[in-house]
Amino acid sequence: MTTKIELPEIPEMAPEPPPHGPRVWLRENLFSTPVSGVLSIVTILVALAAYRGVLAFIFAPDRRWEAVTYNARLLMIQAYPNEQMTRIWLSVAIVVVLLAASVAVYRIGGRTTPRKVGIGLMSLGSFIVLGGIIGPWGIALSPFGIESMRGFLAWVIMGAVLVIGGHLLRTIPGERAKDPSIPILGVVLVAIFVVLTVLWTVLLPQPVFDEAGVQTQTMEPIAMTTRLPWTLIAILGIVVYFVMWFLRDRIPVGPTRKTLLGLWVASFPVIVLVILRDPDMDYGRVLTWYLPVALGFIVIGGLILNFVAGGRGEIGRVIGAALLILAFASFAFPMEFLIRFLLLSLAMFALAAPTFGGKGAGRVAFLSIWAGWAGLLTFFLALLTAPSTVEVASSSFLGGLLLTIVLSVVAIALSLPLGIILALARTSKMPIFRLMATTYIEVVRGVPLITWLIVAFIMLPVALPPGVEIGGVARAMGAMTFFSAAYLAENVRGGLQAIPKGQYEASEAMGLTTSQATVFIVLPQALRAVIPALVGQVIALFKDTSLVTIVGLFDFLHIARLVIPSQTQPFNFLGVLREPLLFAAVVYWMFTFTFSRISQRMEKKLGVGER
Amino acid sequence: MAVTVREHEKTPLWRNAAFLKWSSQLLALAVTLGFFVILGRQAFANFSASGTTFDLDFLTDPIGVFLREGIDTEPDSSIRALAAGAMNTLRISITGIIAATILGTLIGIGRLSHNWIVNKIATFYIETIRNIPLLVQIFFWQAMVIALPSLVAADIGTYWFKGSNKGFGFAWVSWNGGFWPWIVFLGAGIIAGGFVSRWRHRVQEETGKPSHPGYWAGGTLAVFAVVGWFAWPLLSFVEPILHGIASFIDAVPAIVVPIVLAAAALLGAAWWIRNFFESRRTPAGFGKLTDDDWFRVIFAGVAGVIGAGLAFLVSGVTIATVSGEVLTVAELVRLGIGNFFDWLGNGFAADGGQPLNFTKASVVQKGNFAQYGDTGAVMTVPFFAVWFAVTLYTAAFIAEIVRGGILAVSKGQTEAAQAVGLKRSQFLRLIILPQAFRIILPPIGNQYLNLFKNTSLGIGVAYAEIVAVGSTILNQTGQTLPIVLIWMAFFLTGSLMISGVVNYYNRKMKLVER
Amino acid sequence: MTGNGDVAATGHTLGGPMIVSDGVKKWFGDFQALKDVTATVREREVVVVIGPSGSGKSTWIRCINRLEAHQEGTIIVDGVELTNDIKHIEKIRSEVGMVFQQFNLFPHLTVLDNITLAPQWVRKLPKAEAEESGMELLERVGIPEQASKYPGQLSGGQQQRVAIARSLAMKPKIMLFDEPTSALDPEMIKEVLDVMKELALSGMTMIVVTHEMGFAKEVADRVLFFDYGTIVEAGTPEHFFTNPQHDRTKLFLSQIL
Repeated sequence: MTTKIELPEIPEMAPEPPPHGPRVWLRENLFSTPVSGVLSIVTILVALAAYRGVLAFIFAPDRRWEAVTYNARLLMIQAYPNEQMTRIWLSVAIVVVLLAASVAVYRIGGRTTPRKVGIGLMSLGSFIVLGGIIGPWGIALSPFGIESMRGFLAWVIMGAVLVIGGHLLRTIPGERAKDPSIPILGVVLVAIFVVLTVLWTVLLPQPVFDEAGVQTQTMEPIAMTTRLPWTLIAILGIVVYFVMWFLRDRIPVGPTRKTLLGLWVASFPVIVLVILRDPDMDYGRVLTWYLPVALGFIVIGGLILNFVAGGRGEIGRVIGAALLILAFASFAFPMEFLIRFLLLSLAMFALAAPTFGGKGAGRVAFLSIWAGWAGLLTFFLALLTAPSTVEVASSSFLGGLLLTIVLSVVAIALSLPLGIILALARTSKMPIFRLMATTYIEVVRGVPLITWLIVAFIMLPVALPPGVEIGGVARAMGAMTFFSAAYLAENVRGGLQAIPKGQYEASEAMGLTTSQATVFIVLPQALRAVIPALVGQVIALFKDTSLVTIVGLFDFLHIARLVIPSQTQPFNFLGVLREPLLFAAVVYWMFTFTFSRISQRMEKKLGVGER
Repeated sequence: MAVTVREHEKTPLWRNAAFLKWSSQLLALAVTLGFFVILGRQAFANFSASGTTFDLDFLTDPIGVFLREGIDTEPDSSIRALAAGAMNTLRISITGIIAATILGTLIGIGRLSHNWIVNKIATFYIETIRNIPLLVQIFFWQAMVIALPSLVAADIGTYWFKGSNKGFGFAWVSWNGGFWPWIVFLGAGIIAGGFVSRWRHRVQEETGKPSHPGYWAGGTLAVFAVVGWFAWPLLSFVEPILHGIASFIDAVPAIVVPIVLAAAALLGAAWWIRNFFESRRTPAGFGKLTDDDWFRVIFAGVAGVIGAGLAFLVSGVTIATVSGEVLTVAELVRLGIGNFFDWLGNGFAADGGQPLNFTKASVVQKGNFAQYGDTGAVMTVPFFAVWFAVTLYTAAFIAEIVRGGILAVSKGQTEAAQAVGLKRSQFLRLIILPQAFRIILPPIGNQYLNLFKNTSLGIGVAYAEIVAVGSTILNQTGQTLPIVLIWMAFFLTGSLMISGVVNYYNRKMKLVER
Repeated sequence: MTGNGDVAATGHTLGGPMIVSDGVKKWFGDFQALKDVTATVREREVVVVIGPSGSGKSTWIRCINRLEAHQEGTIIVDGVELTNDIKHIEKIRSEVGMVFQQFNLFPHLTVLDNITLAPQWVRKLPKAEAEESGMELLERVGIPEQASKYPGQLSGGQQQRVAIARSLAMKPKIMLFDEPTSALDPEMIKEVLDVMKELALSGMTMIVVTHEMGFAKEVADRVLFFDYGTIVEAGTPEHFFTNPQHDRTKLFLSQIL
């Protein structure tokens, strides 16, 4: 039945490649219209002038970069004692090991194409060549301590090598250039290798004293004292990565990820409170006081919780409320803080028990969470009340970039739960809770952070009973936590409001209590939707930690702006302000830029609220 | 049909949902208030132990605070110092908001440009500026300016623009006594321009011919401005009227102030309760008010009564003024309102001089040093550092918002506009911008708020804004709580005003949606 | 008022009164949504509720498991009066299942987790037991193979069947259906109606708000016609569809049939 249709032959037409080449590119991207052309020329001239200005600033002969390199340790960890540096390196190693293991287990890092890598290398190279060409002549261009002409040649040759290499990579014949064949982690590995090489080989002028006590300059490697530990830690990280890479298909995924997450959460308090702070524990008191109290609470509290969780909803509620009132009352009478906190926790657990107590295995899990929480609380209180053995000149063993990082992590970790509670209260149907949460959020957000820091540093000491003192770092942590919680609450509220009403109705109709619906249905969805906003808040908080310099904490910025420019011994860096500030700006930028890139990738991955 | 009810006993209190709901809330409220009461009592105890009396008298006591710039550089009292600081905050906020909006919009559009280099530069700007803490940027610009050469004897003269480590001097206009009457003329011109513009629009709609409403409105304004420039002394007849109002207010008994305030509180509560009942009223009456509703009504009533009581209580508090008089708050409020009308009246005095003056900056010899003179305008180093950093920083965020807003207007809109034959400039003005503006406005309002609050970082470079002045006073007098409350009042008022303006426009622009 | 004596259309013997609604009134602000709704549903009875939109039929069944609180009148479900007593509310919620027009599945949980969540945390069953009966329910509604998928990956009909299974997992005595097929494409309506029919045949007490007249004729013991917030007419399906008494009913049926 089929009829065959004869089609006339047509001459073969190969698809024409789209027009390309530098001239087409220029016409399309820079000179598409006369206005655009003028704009391009003006912008290029301005950009070139700015680039030259930056180079002139950085390589001006009277720039004192040694103020930064000489004070590198001060900037990083302030006055942490030299004899205990191993503690710092141990902490860094823990973080690097966890990072490497996470990268392996979570399968972070995809592949990229030779073309993209090539283009990246080419643009980097052209920047360097351009710098060599337009760089400020007549002054020493001395990244390598070489005079101007050779400096110029070094720049141009280095840049040209990169450009040529990039071009070769970009134009690998055939489709291979567009194949995603280069693992990103490989690129990272190369970058680590390059950095380590720089640490070992590149020399910088360092001020030293000769025998007669006269200051001179010698050439020293960039990181004289730290290059060995950095190298060892880098190797450790790479080894851990490959071990986990080998293991990840041979061990169950779920438990591994959970363990890793637990290690991340646990690592921070352990690093700060145990490793860095090195508390001088009074074991007699631990045995005679902390341990019995904790055990007593765990056992008696466990029995109460077991009773309350046993389906006796009404009695449970009454007992929980009674415990809560007891706990609040305990704050009005002189008492050990440990007992107050444990009572408060027990009351909270008792209130949660009827709904979250579970049965059988669930009950066991609930009671072990109680035991774990009570134990941890006791442990940390014991750690915090023990005096630190780290001998530093200033009031705190934390300082420099270390203080900046610790401040941000603590503030974020504590403000997230607080922010979630505030957001729930603000969206609840209960008017007084709503009023209280709204007042808190609006008052805190309405006034700048610096005033809250001033309040924490000037007003709080006035309002505390005599004998109770809170250290400066803790006060800053508190102020930043309460401040950041108000902003986080608004972000979370956005997520809560995006949840359709039907979700609440369905959970109600299934008989879930409001708190169960909140924990199992509402919060998981709301938090997932606001992850990008939360990361944005983390970035803002990290930047905001710089404000503690105004109230006199020795954070990264404080050292760059006040400590270094007032040094006269052993070297005179009096008034050297712009170099350390620029360095600080670059370091802050590297942190926040990395965060914002991660946030952007997450946003794409999550598809904002879509599964 | 017989209905058997298995459990029909009276609901016990601990199972009553409404009781649980309200008792838990009241418990939380009590705990929170208790916490503050304990803190407060301790603070009072510590205050009295250290001999600091706790009252507002310190506000009017003489104080040794010197401000580097502002409306009053040597204030005679704390309250004046704080007022001068507040003015300095506002100066940076307002100029910064204007500059950041312009810069941010340009960069945001640049970020969307097809021009490769413009696009790259805009991206580079945003990624750099917004990822560096603002305080670091403020310190950096301060460090850059104080590295400039200092003024020397050879610099003496007048300049259009002159930079040094003392800041920047530049030519600028200043206003005289005639300025305020002239502003009244300008205001009248704007209103008249609005009418003219509406009239021309009507003409255009009726005749279909282009009637240039914009030019007409501008022309009207220009006419008013020119006439006002010469005719402003005519308005001096307002002066005695305003002074009359002021003396009338001074004659009113002080007790009127708390009465008015208390009446407002009670009426407010009554109004709220009435509206609440109205919203619950049905043809069947009020029978269906739930427990919740009754709690709400009781709370509103109690709040009203407390507000009224507070009005009388606070009005009776006495405060010593700078001149040593002891006045109650009510009298002070009356005095303030009276003084305001007096001040307004003085502004209309006929002997004020030409509204605006244009002068160049100058460098003069003061004592042993060369200094900027009083002509033109001088931007001090702290002002420049804070203003410049805050502007650049906020502009980066505004740029991202502008870009997002324009991108959010769908491509379909662009294509539809082109399909009906609008020119590029027309469809930008008529289609894209109105829609993008609606998306952009709320987040931009947030950025304005941030800028306003960020000016407080001026304390880091000793810019005499309200937080810096406040903390100086606080260190001298030890009066922490009042100063903190003043800060809060100032910033909360400012925030509310900015968000009020933004919300107003937002409501006005909102799409009518089902 | 009741149907054919004591035998249901599904062949079951009707039991005692399961839901008693006596003089129920409900307002939203000024708007009165329910005006004196009085009706009784007996055990194992299937009642279909029809009426124009905004007539209060959805509000009424939402009052029955206290998604909305009524303001006047009495609602007694399985002998328990709906008051502010949270113990009563908890009891009702776990005894009355509800299926929504928009399914309202939890998008962040798998199909099986959707079903086992409430049995685990409200009935306090061990996880394994809850999952076992969850799989049985999925088989009953005909989609056991979808257990580990997420709701977003299912078709509308499949989602609604999961929603029914989710409600059944609480072993309810009463099932409420709020326009369960209105958000579905025509070809998916049948698969949901089949599940509902099977449920009715198994002797479940059901109140169904729907526009599916075929379902009403086939399965219902009684049809209630809602208009202006009250029950205008009630009767057996054959009586109701062939010989409506009230003018409003006639008008409505002439438009819909």
